[in-house]
Amino acid sequence: MNKEEKFDFVIVGGGPNGVTLAAYLSKCGASVCVLEERPEAGGGCENTEPIAGVRINPHAMFLYGGAAPGFDQLELWRYGFRGQPNRLGDLTEDVGRGCPTTSGNYPISDIDQMGYAKVSGLLGQPPFIRELLRATFWCPPHPPEVEVTAHNIPYMQVYKKHQPDVWSEELLEMDMFDLMDEYLDTEPFKVQQAVISWYSGAAGHWKGVAIPAWMCNVALVIYSRMTVPRGGMHDYFHAVMRCAVAHGTVVRTCCKVEEIMINDGVAVGVRMADTATCGEKKIWAKKAVISGVDVRQTFNKLVGPQHVDRGLLQKVNDISLKGGSIYVSHILSREPLKVKDKFPGMVGGCYPMDHRDIYYDHVADVDGRKGNPSIPPERAMWLSTPYERFDWSDPQVSRPEGHIMSPIYHLVPPPEYHVDGPDAMNKWKDGMWDYVVKSMSEVYTNLNSDNVIAHWANSPYDSTFRNTGLIGGTWCGTRHCDDQWGERRPIPELARYRTPIDGLYLCNQTACHPGGLFLMAIPYNLMHIMIEDGLVEPGEWWYPSPWYIPEQGKNPAKRQ
Amino acid sequence: MVMEDLLGKTFDEFPMQTDWDAIIIGAGPNGLMTGAYLAKAGARVAVIERRYEIGGGLATEEVLFPCYYSNIHAIYHMMVDYMPAVQDFDLDRHAITWIKPNLQTGMVFEDGSSLLMTRMVEDTVDSMHKFSHKDAVAYGRLIRHWNKMMSDILGPATYLPPVASVDLMVALQRTEIGRELLEVNERSPYDLITSHFENEKIRALLLYSACMWGLDPNETGVGLFVPLLLTRAMSKAYCHGGSHKLAGALAREILRNGGVILEAAQVNKINTQNGNVTGVELWEGRTLNAKVVISSLDPHSTFYDLIGKDKLPKSMDNAFENWLYDKWSYYTLHTVSKEQPKYKCDDPWVNESFMTVFGFENEQDVVAHWKNVMAGKLDKKFGGHATCESFWDEHLVRGPKPAEISFFQMHAPYDIEGGWDKKSGELQEEVLAKWEKVAPNMNRDNIMMTMAETPKDIEIRLPNMRRGGIKHGDYTPMQLGFNRPNIECSSSNTPIGGLYLCGASNYPGGMVTGGPGYIAANKVAEDMGLQKWWKPTPLMDRYLKTYFG
Ligand SMILES: Cc1cc2nc3c(=O)[nH]c(=O)nc-3n(C[C@H](O)[C@H](O)[C@H](O)COP(=O)(O)OP(=O)(O)OC[C@H]3O[C@@H](n4cnc5c(N)ncnc54)[C@H](O)[C@@H]3O)c2cc1C
Ligand SMILES: Cc1cc2nc3c(=O)[nH]c(=O)nc-3n(C[C@H](O)[C@H](O)[C@H](O)COP(=O)(O)OP(=O)(O)OC[C@H]3O[C@@H](n4cnc5c(N)ncnc54)[C@H](O)[C@@H]3O)c2cc1C
Repeated sequence: MNKEEKFDFVIVGGGPNGVTLAAYLSKCGASVCVLEERPEAGGGCENTEPIAGVRINPHAMFLYGGAAPGFDQLELWRYGFRGQPNRLGDLTEDVGRGCPTTSGNYPISDIDQMGYAKVSGLLGQPPFIRELLRATFWCPPHPPEVEVTAHNIPYMQVYKKHQPDVWSEELLEMDMFDLMDEYLDTEPFKVQQAVISWYSGAAGHWKGVAIPAWMCNVALVIYSRMTVPRGGMHDYFHAVMRCAVAHGTVVRTCCKVEEIMINDGVAVGVRMADTATCGEKKIWAKKAVISGVDVRQTFNKLVGPQHVDRGLLQKVNDISLKGGSIYVSHILSREPLKVKDKFPGMVGGCYPMDHRDIYYDHVADVDGRKGNPSIPPERAMWLSTPYERFDWSDPQVSRPEGHIMSPIYHLVPPPEYHVDGPDAMNKWKDGMWDYVVKSMSEVYTNLNSDNVIAHWANSPYDSTFRNTGLIGGTWCGTRHCDDQWGERRPIPELARYRTPIDGLYLCNQTACHPGGLFLMAIPYNLMHIMIEDGLVEPGEWWYPSPWYIPEQGKNPAKRQ
Repeated sequence: MVMEDLLGKTFDEFPMQTDWDAIIIGAGPNGLMTGAYLAKAGARVAVIERRYEIGGGLATEEVLFPCYYSNIHAIYHMMVDYMPAVQDFDLDRHAITWIKPNLQTGMVFEDGSSLLMTRMVEDTVDSMHKFSHKDAVAYGRLIRHWNKMMSDILGPATYLPPVASVDLMVALQRTEIGRELLEVNERSPYDLITSHFENEKIRALLLYSACMWGLDPNETGVGLFVPLLLTRAMSKAYCHGGSHKLAGALAREILRNGGVILEAAQVNKINTQNGNVTGVELWEGRTLNAKVVISSLDPHSTFYDLIGKDKLPKSMDNAFENWLYDKWSYYTLHTVSKEQPKYKCDDPWVNESFMTVFGFENEQDVVAHWKNVMAGKLDKKFGGHATCESFWDEHLVRGPKPAEISFFQMHAPYDIEGGWDKKSGELQEEVLAKWEKVAPNMNRDNIMMTMAETPKDIEIRLPNMRRGGIKHGDYTPMQLGFNRPNIECSSSNTPIGGLYLCGASNYPGGMVTGGPGYIAANKVAEDMGLQKWWKPTPLMDRYLKTYFG
């Protein structure tokens, strides 16, 4: 039995953010221990095979983080990272197909394409899309003494430099629809972009985050080309975890943390639950404890009200979960799903894209009325992966019969806001299955009981159980609106990953800029802060964000 | 629009060609074991796994989707006391702990009576006294001998290369317990158990425990497996947090020593040149080069599918044409229920036992069931074993409570009359009916979710478990010991230069023993000239000294 264990850093939660940070810290030579409560690390990036030969993706599916410095700083290729080509990533096909509306595919115009390319940084010489993405996601929020303006917001600086005609003070007032009305042409194309963004973090209708919302879309559709990592997001996660372990990180599963121990206002270690699969249940941190779990649990339970003031706790509990709770369905069918003639070439995607009114109806339903869907299924919006064997290139889909569509997403209210109680969607699973079938049968002709071999669903309520960190069962943990973005994420007092408790840092999508998705962004950004605080000294491989502004009186995380 | 033209390379991937000291095919318990020893000895190893998750038979997955995890394959770890890895690796580092309850197996009968098999002998004996004083006394005496056979010979020999039968016979003559073991070996399990015990219920428990992992009760020449498997049946341990934890721990030992693991990576071909291996090719087109390739797969996969019959030396013509896959596989019904199964029987300890056997009233029922299975059918008189997993492991429940996770498992044929597509659903109803009969609360109100796994499903998940064979090949005298998988290959190396075997189809066979993997690691390390950083366990030392010193 281990006695009096000490590590430089103890990380609570083995999700993508906690483990990526572990990789960074251990690559700096620090000793790191990660404690994960589930039987498998990986948080929202998981795979499972509910019947033999059918692998499904309960949550994450696509790589958004292709532009991450982590790919080269952590050398993920060494640890087995592999992508895999897929038809959704073929942009030519995508553009030719148009956007699916109730009356069939609606063509995308030249103006749409040029406008989209321009705002995405594709028209620069050379294209500056990567700089734009990195400026949006891979840069820590500015320190409190800096006044944030249209001149120093990183992505604004990038436009100014490369595409000055896009830059304007008004850009910061807009939502994505406003922006699209300026640069794009056809309504269905605009709605499609807004929906993709809504499903990817920042919604199209939130004021002031037009560019972050846009960039969530571009990160997926253009830069990462709808890449599905080989073996799914879980194996991408594994590449990161293997990097961490190779550098000495100790990862322990089935070790739930119950308390972050605080001594004189300083976080000194953690105490695990009695059920943890180890002997001694306390681990000490010499330098810092990092919470890789959701911000509510961190302050309400792990730190506890005895160490936080009521005002802060109120703000933490007010953090909005809205904007991305997803009811996820998975279908195994005998025959591939066939699309109606009016949708030639459609391979999954989102539907129906007729008009933004449909989009707004969903906002009203999901975030306004906060109940089970009241929109008729014919107008229900959904997003899905292709209807073929999704992993058609992967021998893992080894059941002799059957085609998988997994996942299929429908937006619903976060369970704890649901007017009929958190388990309302769960009680209505059969009804929801009918709803899913009806809504998808607007496009597919053979989604019937003869064809469906099996189907599964995980509601946001299930997600909050399966994965404690996924409060609200959302993509992004907490709303990526202007009030919870950048220097205000999750609340201004916590925006730079530090907490009122010395030696306690935050590293989770719900608590940190830039929020949801497995981007390796939060840990990269947090590295700047840990260097500022003198906790680590990375080697030659490290480079900070070019837009990063050091905090006064701290060690700048830049090379001298 | 080709994005690469526009954006250039966006992120780097694992290269299409790489070089390694050794490549291991399959990340089951054995492949991982071999990898962990070799990586720590300084070899640059790459472990290639076809599934999206390492572990092979060590799988703890959310198959009761959503929210409930189960150990879909191995759950009972029976060699924890002997496995050298436990002393050799710092498993504490990975938070590995085992639970080895005293109440190992409970057997319940239709009349409400029950039997216990326990880790501590006297509790079993007490329970047997309910049925037969003679048997109870006989068990108490016999099991001391059998435990000694296990600790002195069978246990340590699991981790040492096989010895030709003649040599082994000579060696075992040196001690009394060795001679006893030789005698035991001549007899069939049925014969051994019925000659020592008279009560039909006691016989049923012992015969089932001895043969449940795949011994044919009437096969002679495999008798040494009776003490081996009975003592193992008293030593079942649960890896707290799930079987997969052990896989994870071994994998991390590989990684921290510079090895690489690729998942969702199927080896399609073992490359050879002039009778020597040169590396492997993956389905996705990547090539990994190495002078040493170690396969944990079954002989057909390794030699016929991956190397190719035309590349085998003459001596291996038809070597595995007659390889017998396991006579029986498993049908498992996984359940989520509000309450754990509560068995209706005279001894409350049964409800706290790790495993509960039911469906058999006497040893003839046990034999009849196996006969059916071998004939490719099942009738209503089947029996099997069940475990309530969440009773041992709260980590498996990740959904709203109350919820308990259990499974019932029974021997079943790969080819079944009527086909599994049809049979699986019917059987599920029959299993539930039978379960409810012995544990009345296992009714429809209580059960919230089920998931049936047939022998075909086992093969779909792990194609190297051909015909659902959990040991990659049957236990018959011609496929055991020095003959597993054949004389040329049973010491891990093969007639193909640089090709080694480390899986369950090699000596000492299947289950989570780590034996084949450990033995292969030793052999490869010797051949590669690596410094062995580990030493045999004290029990292995003593065995070597006593019988071969
Ligand atoms: C339906 C859905 C679809 C998504 N699709 C995508 C996608 O396609 N692409 C993409 O990039 N992202 C996607 N995401 C988002 C992605 O999954 C998350 O952004 C990511 O998992 C967040 O990582 P994290 O480390 O911040 O938190 P989490 O993943 O929540 O990890 C937190 C970890 O901490 C553990 N934990 C919690 N409490 C404790 C405790 N007390 N002690 C110990 N451990 C604890 C949890 O078990 C968990 O493993 C999707 C999310 C959802 C819900
Ligand atoms: C239902 C069931 C219950 C069981 N219960 C128990 C139990 O309770 N206790 C016990 O001790 N044992 C149990 N077993 C048996 C035990 O799981 C196996 O004997 C053991 O896993 C064998 O280990 P291995 O490493 O040799 O092979 P495996 O565990 O079979 O691992 C081989 C690996 O190779 C991979 N592979 C296959 N083909 C390729 C390829 N072409 N390229 C790359 N990789 C490939 C597979 O995916 C697999 O991961 C059970 C088995 C089953 C099926």
